[in-house]
Amino acid sequence: MEKVKIIETRNLQKTYFSSEGLPTPALRDISITISKGEFVSIMGPSGSGKSTLLHILGLLDEPTKGDYFLDGKNIKDYDKEAIASLRNEKIGFIFQFFNLLARTSVFDNVILPLLYSKVPEKDWKHRALEAIEAVNLGHRKDYLPSQLSGGEKQRVAIARALVTDPSIIFADEPTGNLDSRNGHNILEILQNLNEKQGRTIILITHESHAAAHAQRKIILKDGLVEIDEKILNQLRPTDVIIK
Amino acid sequence: MKWKHYLKTAAGGLLVHKSRSVLTILGIVIGIAAIIMISSLGEGANQLILREIQAMGSRTLVVTPGKEPRGPSNINSLFLDALKERELKALQDQSKVPSVVDATPMIIVPGSVSYGGETYDPTTMGSSENFAELMDVYPNPGRFFNAEEVRQNESVAIIGSEVKNKLFGPSEGLGAKIKIRGRYFRVIGIFPQTGSSIFFNMDDLIVIPYTTGQRYLLGTDHFFEIIVRAQSEALVPRAVAEIEATLRETQGITDPEKDYFHIHTQIDLADRVGLVGTILTLLLSSIAAISLLVGGIGIMNIMLVSVTERTREIGLRKAIGATEKNIMTQFVLEAILLTGLGGIIGTTLGITASFIIGQLIRRFGGLEWVFSIPIASALVGITLSCLIGLIFGIFPARSAAKKNPIEALRYE
Repeated sequence: MEKVKIIETRNLQKTYFSSEGLPTPALRDISITISKGEFVSIMGPSGSGKSTLLHILGLLDEPTKGDYFLDGKNIKDYDKEAIASLRNEKIGFIFQFFNLLARTSVFDNVILPLLYSKVPEKDWKHRALEAIEAVNLGHRKDYLPSQLSGGEKQRVAIARALVTDPSIIFADEPTGNLDSRNGHNILEILQNLNEKQGRTIILITHESHAAAHAQRKIILKDGLVEIDEKILNQLRPTDVIIK
Repeated sequence: MKWKHYLKTAAGGLLVHKSRSVLTILGIVIGIAAIIMISSLGEGANQLILREIQAMGSRTLVVTPGKEPRGPSNINSLFLDALKERELKALQDQSKVPSVVDATPMIIVPGSVSYGGETYDPTTMGSSENFAELMDVYPNPGRFFNAEEVRQNESVAIIGSEVKNKLFGPSEGLGAKIKIRGRYFRVIGIFPQTGSSIFFNMDDLIVIPYTTGQRYLLGTDHFFEIIVRAQSEALVPRAVAEIEATLRETQGITDPEKDYFHIHTQIDLADRVGLVGTILTLLLSSIAAISLLVGGIGIMNIMLVSVTERTREIGLRKAIGATEKNIMTQFVLEAILLTGLGGIIGTTLGITASFIIGQLIRRFGGLEWVFSIPIASALVGITLSCLIGLIFGIFPARSAAKKNPIEALRYE
């Protein structure tokens, strides 16, 4: 398979300034390339800069220095509006704390990104139902988040991430708030999205077990890439689930 | 994003905190309701007064002593002595004022009236035999006094129905002697009940010959005012000119600036009433405006709270592709929806209240009150309340739109 670069960073730096003006470097020098269709896990102890990297790659934040090419285009060339629509069209987020809108049905949560998209309204319902079916929650579409289990909530979040048909999915500690059984279920879904639908998955985690489900792992330390290697024996959820 | 979805999102945001939303718009509701009530009741009162003025006849002129009054009240003319028998005679002289039909003098006699053990405090006026025709009220039973009785300073009186009830109760009272300021007057007529009117309550009136009043009760020789009727409405301006010329001649005034009398036409009176109404409306409206301002600040406060509470939601919306404009529009719309709703409720409330008050005035005040729906104020009220939402919603909405999505998502 021909490898197309979807993400490329060159000497990415991010420095935060405290209220007294003291600089705290979060990312010192990150140059990585991720190809279309890869499943990459990013690991590292807290403070290593993995969240900061995810936010920059996910277009929620801007680097202090360095360049970030998304689909071959430098994001510096985009204005705020264009960045927002890139987030909408190309990127799907899954968060540790699900971030579903309370008092809003599963269906309405999933349809939310479409409100900000260019997708014609007549396709919304069909798209949302398809995404909900893809995570096996068809029977829960009219439920409220408060009526769902943690695993179900995270599946709703995945459906929401999928509804705009993004090419990259960023998962920020998606299993961090789940028990192992539900955690495996989520990892299985991510693997399926990667293998069956060819989506690029970037998984941030501090659990090496979860990270082992990816094809490649990047380990950050003190704002630098410490390890970037292929995972030889990609872990399959079926390997561990005891039936 | 389409307006339909903005509206749905904004409405959803408000419905989450129903009781809070209701309490928040209370200030707007009260302010708008007050504005609607003020304009509806003010308009009703204005029309009522104008109708009464017109009922007196549009060809009626009132000549008062002294310079042109500045305020709505002409209490000063009670004490000014510029209008006397000489002026009255001049105004009754057809050769001097050909456009004038008649001139009726008026005096006011302060004090109470008594009969037997009963004492009452009505309005006592002295006038000429023209009074009944001028005011279009005729005694029944009994009669009005005639020109001869005026000339002879007769002590006769015509009393209103309320005065009669207070003094005589159920008995007729005709022919009885009532005491006004120590002098006995024979009751020769009783006015039928007419209901109240704003300027003049006929039911609460005693009319005596002005000559008697001047000579025996007041000891003066001047009039409170002289009511003049022109031959027709069209001749009112000419009558005014004739009266001015005649009075100047009589009083020896050459410089019109030094006129020591004033002629009021119905138009003057209507204008003055209108002015008072406008001032009152402005005054009350400014109070209502303060209530709206306070309401607006309340809206801003609650919107800021709401923005803080929903920081995570804002972060999420941004993460999934909402632009700053999207977020801003959503929150501004939420504020406008809130205040607009307040405006609509306030307008409904204000109209309902004005209608009920109008009905109460009709029933208990006995006045011909006409209820009018103040469409213009209703539109202004609703527009104004939406505007308040816009103005006081922009700042919170901006702070929502400017939120950093990372911080917002991290917010617990």
